[in-house]
Amino acid sequence: MNGIQPPTIEYGQLMPLLLVFGAAIVGVLIEAFAPRYLRKAIHVPLTMLTLLGAFGLVIVQVLRDGVPTAAVAMGAIAVDGPSLFIWGVILVLSVVSVLLINDDDNFVASAAAVPGSPDEEEAIARGGAHTEVYPLALFAIGGMMLFAASNDLLIMFVGLEVMSLPLYLLCGLARRRRLLSQESSVKYFLLGAFSSAFFLYGMAMIYGYAGTVDLGGINDALGRVGGQDTLLYLGTALLGVGLFFKIGAAPFQAWKPDVYQGAPTPITALMASGTLVAAFGAVLRVFWVALGNLDWDWRPVMWGIAILTMIVGAILAITQTDIKRMLAYSSIAHAGFLLTGVIATGEATQNANSLSALLFYLLAYGITTVGAFAVVTMVRDAGGEAGHLSRWAGLGKRSPALAGIFAFFLLAFAGIPLTSGFFGKYAVFAAAVAGGALPLVVVGVVSSAIAAFFYVRVIVLMFFSEPAADGPTIAVPSAGTAAVVALAAAATVVLGVYPQPVFDLADAAASSLFVR
Amino acid sequence: MGETITFWVLAVVSVSAALGLVLSRRAVYCALMLGVVMLSLAVLYAVQDAPFLAAVQIVVYTGAVMMLFLFVLMLVGVDSSDSLVETIKGQRFWAIVAGAGFAVLLGLAVGNAVLSPPAGLLGATQTAGGNVPALAQLIFTRHVFAFEVASALLITAALAAMVLTHRERLTEKPTQRALARARFLTGGSVVLPGPGVYARHNANDMPALLPDGSVSELSVNRVIARHDVEDERFPDDPKLAEAIKQAVEEESK
Amino acid sequence: MNLMLAPVPAGPSLADFGKDPLWISIIKAVFIFVFLLLSVMFGVWMERKLISRMQNRYGPNRAGKFGLLQSVADAVKMGLKEDLLPRTVDKVLYTVAPIILVVPAFMAFSIIPFGPMVSMFGVETPLQLTDLPVAVLFVLAMASIGVYGIVLMGWSSRSPYAVLGGLRSSAQVVSYEIAMGLSFVGVFLFAGTLSTSEIVAAQADGGTWEIAGLSIPLPSWYVVLLIPSFLIYAITMLGETNRVPFDLPEGEGELVGGYQTEYSSSLKFALIQMGEYVNVFTVSAVSITLFFGGWRAPWPISMWDGANVGWWPMLWFFIKLVLVFSCFIWVRASLPRIRYDQLMAFGWKVLIPLNLAWIMLVATVRAFRVEDANRGVIFTLAAIVLIGCFGIWFRFDTVLQRRRENRAAEVEAEFEQLRDEPEAGGFPVPPLDLPHYHGADRKEVPSGSN
Repeated sequence: MNGIQPPTIEYGQLMPLLLVFGAAIVGVLIEAFAPRYLRKAIHVPLTMLTLLGAFGLVIVQVLRDGVPTAAVAMGAIAVDGPSLFIWGVILVLSVVSVLLINDDDNFVASAAAVPGSPDEEEAIARGGAHTEVYPLALFAIGGMMLFAASNDLLIMFVGLEVMSLPLYLLCGLARRRRLLSQESSVKYFLLGAFSSAFFLYGMAMIYGYAGTVDLGGINDALGRVGGQDTLLYLGTALLGVGLFFKIGAAPFQAWKPDVYQGAPTPITALMASGTLVAAFGAVLRVFWVALGNLDWDWRPVMWGIAILTMIVGAILAITQTDIKRMLAYSSIAHAGFLLTGVIATGEATQNANSLSALLFYLLAYGITTVGAFAVVTMVRDAGGEAGHLSRWAGLGKRSPALAGIFAFFLLAFAGIPLTSGFFGKYAVFAAAVAGGALPLVVVGVVSSAIAAFFYVRVIVLMFFSEPAADGPTIAVPSAGTAAVVALAAAATVVLGVYPQPVFDLADAAASSLFVR
Repeated sequence: MGETITFWVLAVVSVSAALGLVLSRRAVYCALMLGVVMLSLAVLYAVQDAPFLAAVQIVVYTGAVMMLFLFVLMLVGVDSSDSLVETIKGQRFWAIVAGAGFAVLLGLAVGNAVLSPPAGLLGATQTAGGNVPALAQLIFTRHVFAFEVASALLITAALAAMVLTHRERLTEKPTQRALARARFLTGGSVVLPGPGVYARHNANDMPALLPDGSVSELSVNRVIARHDVEDERFPDDPKLAEAIKQAVEEESK
Repeated sequence: MNLMLAPVPAGPSLADFGKDPLWISIIKAVFIFVFLLLSVMFGVWMERKLISRMQNRYGPNRAGKFGLLQSVADAVKMGLKEDLLPRTVDKVLYTVAPIILVVPAFMAFSIIPFGPMVSMFGVETPLQLTDLPVAVLFVLAMASIGVYGIVLMGWSSRSPYAVLGGLRSSAQVVSYEIAMGLSFVGVFLFAGTLSTSEIVAAQADGGTWEIAGLSIPLPSWYVVLLIPSFLIYAITMLGETNRVPFDLPEGEGELVGGYQTEYSSSLKFALIQMGEYVNVFTVSAVSITLFFGGWRAPWPISMWDGANVGWWPMLWFFIKLVLVFSCFIWVRASLPRIRYDQLMAFGWKVLIPLNLAWIMLVATVRAFRVEDANRGVIFTLAAIVLIGCFGIWFRFDTVLQRRRENRAAEVEAEFEQLRDEPEAGGFPVPPLDLPHYHGADRKEVPSGSN
């Protein structure tokens, strides 16, 4: 027997992650053993308590230990400042999204029944919906946390898959317009699988170059290994494809509108907020930690992608007639704005500034997005949510409060002062200017202006046109949805009026940068 | 030397199998070609001092995954060709251009990549005392978290398969008894008469009926008939009465 | 006092392989090939003969003494028959499939140890073609390639019976292979290696148990130490080779000949038969290697010093092989074929979970034996698992009990009702007013007066 030293796992620091995964597994056991009528009653408190508990653990960890300075779990996971902040953001967004998921019948009664078949009618008549969504959502959330905190490419890939696989499934579980939902699921799955393959291929190339999958190790290899740049560039490009697909940067954005439109709206909210946050965490880790010294090489490409993403997102959004597709394109444009922050690297202080701006932006954008999608779930007609923009005409006259809040969210997306979006954009653009990316900022401002046009168009539509005779009804919000909308609106206002505490927090998280 | 020969032989085999996979029209052949590619890979792994990987490649990929593919293909019989209508005009052309361009780019890049001299696995495995222990050491120490988290992936996949395909039985499965009861309630009979028999009774004193509904004389019970004739008590059914009379007459001849 | 007499000679280990000159390897390979060919012939004869005696008949007794040449005659006949090629079959796969079945079956035998180091024409070499650090996995790998042969035979025949037989067989083999692989895990945990020669070496000595001054030798064969593993392996061995009671793929009552329906008795059919028998020998040899001490002599013989050296062990190996093969025949003579859904349910719902639980147990016991293991943690975890299992069992038991009581009450209520009104529930009762056309006052007619 040759001895293998047992690995050291820092359970304390990993506790938020382990809690989420553990609760997910408990959820699966509940699915297996609890009677059907009890399942939802067990799942909802379990999921909420888990997410809140994990959030509490993150806070406790920050308060007690400060920011850790070494990678944990044998160097697989980096629980550093940005990780903890991103975990906090993901957990807050997840709590809010789970409130939406919990809301009411968003999910299919029996996913195995063919849409429109007698089986489906029977399943609907029996009532209830798939309760597997709770453990699946927990797995996805755990994957997001892992993805953003991974310290080597291997665990990053596993995190990517753990995050994506439940989402592929969840996208196909919409209760209404099931064919659209299933189509979105298949599209997301196929394209996601392709992008994972690209990521894996890039990983292999980088491994061939550096001889390690450790992010810090790759960074060291940049200075050590010479003469194999082709392999490195190829690997970087392929890794980039995988990551840019996840954030929905052009030209890898094509899946976003279709998936956002087809998926059940609470899942769209989770994807649009949590996945984006996690994916940006991973992008930052790969490009700043592993390939930080290669920035002269990847920056021009990233410039191109950022510009393309902003412009594509802003211009294509104008042509959309579906509210969820419009929000999807808006999300693409926002990914472009965020990329300007990724490009703005430089000295350590500059990096910390950019990072802090990005973290703030992610929080502000994420919470507003969840709020906007929560409003979308409430505007309904006979066939479910009223997605088409023409159905939203005159909403301001029927339901001024809701339309007002939605208009406020849209203004936050546009970056109008006194909303959280303004400070987010301001911070990122300021960091980009400081990082010497002035032309990029100009493009960003121009595309923000274009984006503002279609946001304002929706507002005009809601408030200044006559409501249709058979217009959609506004569902009386359940406590969960109402709480989500209220929370998101409050956060948008508070972050827009008094953002300083959160900025300070982001600064503190970003000050020590990533551990290597 | 041996490794080089193996490589070039398998290179030809696996590349042609991969081409066959893409170009073959029948789904089953595609699956088989994929199997060949996987087997070639396994042999390459084995040649490069990675026997564990080779065995696992065959057991897991060739043996289980591909077998399931093949199984589904055979069971479902997916041999129909795909719809070739382009939903976006010119899509196929541009897709081919982009794909070929990407392939050329990738090929050139990999072809031109300068590689450091191969280190081989021997050094890594010898320090740990063999291929399997070396892998175990990596999996259970450095990458233990990735290894454990992969279980989340597997659970998700299993759960996803259940959600997408398993239809819960909404009503209880009818038992044999329930089925029988349903049949009787709708007016069925206990035991259906055998084929070619038109009978409504199985009592001894009721004669059988022929397909046209008339009484079969052959089946009239002689004993009872004789008594009936003697007592002059005939049944209400005139056909039956006629048959009984005839039967007795024939007997007395 | 020592009951075990002969000191255990060390067997070959992984380091002894890969040193043979090429001609030695060729001799060994040819030997295995010839050995398997002859075994198939002998096996067919033996199976027919043994099962005949079990069924009180003679079996083949015309060709040669005791009918020994029957297999030879059959082989010659198969070789000389016309090779029919049905018109609609997929010609390439139809021809290739039997070969795909046979080749891996032969290859799997290359890692079976026949004996210890011997001197072969002046070269010290182990009596085993080769060994790998993953030798047992290699057997599984070869088995999983062999399945392709079966599936393709079914598919390429283009006949419903063949396709169904092929599907059944592949599903069965793939399912049982999982349970089989799991049943090896216990052996791996005990032996600490996946190489067959080292597994045999690990079964050489079970150690001794010191009690009251006596040192009692402990059993060294894993069949004793790991009985559950062995039992599961023995069952999966039958399933893996499509033998009775799991010979569903060729259940002649429903599927004619299963995947081999379209193969007439030509050389291709001979190949199929050969592949099946070689598979049986392979799983038997693996069972011997993993559970019955390989080529090592059983206890009374092992007291003789020369039992485990030189060429003798090959004899012990052959004897064990014949005995295990006889068990296959015994099973075939005794058990009926089971239904297909029962087969799958048994594989997935009984064998695999049992196996997993057993592996947990074995691993826990092994963890105890690690010196500086944290016993408290192990105890706690084991207790949690046990309590969890008990909780689940309790819950299911109460639910089942409740369900059973409900059903009994239902049946009781139904009978109650039927007693009062016989036609309730639509059940037919004999009609009391059948249209009889004569009254009760008819005369008695003595029989025979007709």
